Amino acid sequence: MFLQQLVNGLTIGGIYAMIAVGYTMIYGVIQLINFAHGEIYMLGAFFAFTFISFLGLPFYAAFLLSMACCAVCGMLLDIFAYRPLRQSPRLAALITAIGMSIFLQNLAMVIWGSRPKPFPQGALPAYFEETAVTFSGVSLSWFHLFIFAITLMMMIGLNLIIQKTRWGKAMRAVAQNKTMAALTGINVNRVISYTFALAGSLGGAAGIMVGAYYNSLYPTMGYIAGVKAFAAAVLGGIGSVPGAMLGGVVLGVAEALGAGYLSSLYRDGISYAVMIIVIILIPAGLFGKLIKETKKSM
Amino acid sequence: MRNKRTFLFAGLVLALALVFGMSTGAMAANIKIGVAAPYTGNLASYGDNIKAGVSLKLQEINDAGGINGQKVELVWGDDLCQPKDAGTVGAKFAADKSIVAVIGHLCSSATLAAMPIYVRNGMPTISPTSTNPTIGDVGKGWFFRNCYTDDFQGKYLASYVVPKLLGKNKVAIFYENNDYAIGLKDSFVAGAQESGVTVTGAEAYMTGTTDFTPQLTKLMADKPEAIFLCGYHPEGALIAGQGRKLGFDGPLFGADGIDNVDYINIAGKAAENTYCTVPFLAQSAGPAGQDFAVRFKKSAGRDVDWMSANAYDCLGILAQVIGKVGPDRKKIRDGLAAINSEATGYKGVTGLTYFDEKGNCSKPAFVKLVKGGEFVAAE
Repeated sequence: MFLQQLVNGLTIGGIYAMIAVGYTMIYGVIQLINFAHGEIYMLGAFFAFTFISFLGLPFYAAFLLSMACCAVCGMLLDIFAYRPLRQSPRLAALITAIGMSIFLQNLAMVIWGSRPKPFPQGALPAYFEETAVTFSGVSLSWFHLFIFAITLMMMIGLNLIIQKTRWGKAMRAVAQNKTMAALTGINVNRVISYTFALAGSLGGAAGIMVGAYYNSLYPTMGYIAGVKAFAAAVLGGIGSVPGAMLGGVVLGVAEALGAGYLSSLYRDGISYAVMIIVIILIPAGLFGKLIKETKKSM
Repeated sequence: MRNKRTFLFAGLVLALALVFGMSTGAMAANIKIGVAAPYTGNLASYGDNIKAGVSLKLQEINDAGGINGQKVELVWGDDLCQPKDAGTVGAKFAADKSIVAVIGHLCSSATLAAMPIYVRNGMPTISPTSTNPTIGDVGKGWFFRNCYTDDFQGKYLASYVVPKLLGKNKVAIFYENNDYAIGLKDSFVAGAQESGVTVTGAEAYMTGTTDFTPQLTKLMADKPEAIFLCGYHPEGALIAGQGRKLGFDGPLFGADGIDNVDYINIAGKAAENTYCTVPFLAQSAGPAGQDFAVRFKKSAGRDVDWMSANAYDCLGILAQVIGKVGPDRKKIRDGLAAINSEATGYKGVTGLTYFDEKGNCSKPAFVKLVKGGEFVAAE
């Protein structure tokens, strides 16, 4: 049972990690907690649903296309909601983020209706349901492996982008100091847009996988996932990408083991308690750097 | 700038005048009844059922000339099945003096939250669906319902459905953390002790949870023969799907909260072999019920469900009482309370309805089963 719970925890933990990375990247670059990120995740699931049910696309094509759409949504979110507020106090942008979250939820409700929808199961590759590996009583389906593989691939890919490419370098520069980055000829707004696109595509991918694995889409699904992922990002040290990855996995496993061995009613409580304990012991989070607040930002 | 502002202001005044003009114009002649249910949110499909049921009755009443010549008008209140929104809807209905009675709320938690407001303001309320046993006490004489309570439903599941119909005696329970599911679970556990059914484990979950694999893994370690989906259909469907994925192939069963086409839509093949108890089943109903099922299918375009039938009867009961005593909140309450014996009972499509002093009524339960992708009568 322990192993099975571990598998359950890793599955959901990997997905939390993918969303958490989006929070942390955006926070790293513009110090904004993008509360609408959970809604991008929800949109990802709904885009895939629409592409499959109405355009009849195969699963993998729909997967990539929805990721692209979520990337565009992330950029639009930045351009329309956050860019006009770049110079205003941080609180204004934060409130806007909450507003966008509510707006997108309700927009999805208008477009797709508020009833929970099943993911078009027929569109999923048939082998997803088949057992791939069995060890000591735990069986993993190909779908599990698919989720693990995608999560891992995206995490590695993301690290490569941030560490090895020019855009990654520009992102890190903007994160450190926007003015200096601009002085060296970096188009700051464009870098921020790209960050939103990257975060959006990861969030969208997470949404599709959750929608397909747990087989349920509804317009408010982004809320809880968003809050959990935010907790994961804080746990890992907000602003740190490896921290968010680890935070997501820790939170997912804590939740599964907590629900399995302690009380399932307090399952969410347990995962938040883990976060609170870590923050009390290591205020900056697992991988965060403690920076002194130098100027009054609010 | 100044011009724009004046223009906006003029527009606003015009819009307000229009809204007020329309509502006061309609208010003069109609009898208004509030209908509270979740029309949006996760449980919106329940609200659709209520809407379809009362709308059909409304049309029939108004086509026949209304109540003593006055047309009936329904006011919708969306409570999302959430206690906090139910409070808002309740306060709105209570403050609107033109609303003389309320049909609702749907979920027990919502009814429990709104009931004190109705009691304070003297608003007669009749719920088609809230089965939590404690509402009768909170209602202080202002609450009525034409469905059975979970005391009865839980015991029926434990003493008849599980041991006799399914022939199983080891059950794991999944219950939602709300008034409906906790009350139902408690009465099931009590009934199970009497009938010798073993409860191998009970796990709670929060509304809106999507991942049930940790709890399922835990429950399935005890090898239950059947799983009790004690909650509403969106989560029930996910538990069914994930349970089947984890290798559970025994029967699933639930109560009235599971009875919804969306349960089958979401769970797909995993829904097969799910049983649920309902207060009304067209196949087992008398001629009035059969006839209603045909009319309902014609107007709503889908098969009738128990919520629509109960809601249809709720409006019928109110119309009968208002016809006798007139549109007055206090008099309507007294009129409803006077329906207290078989002789004075209301003969509707769901059978004979009459209330005890707590507003409860006794109705038999029927069992449905998912077979070949649709609900069929189990017996």
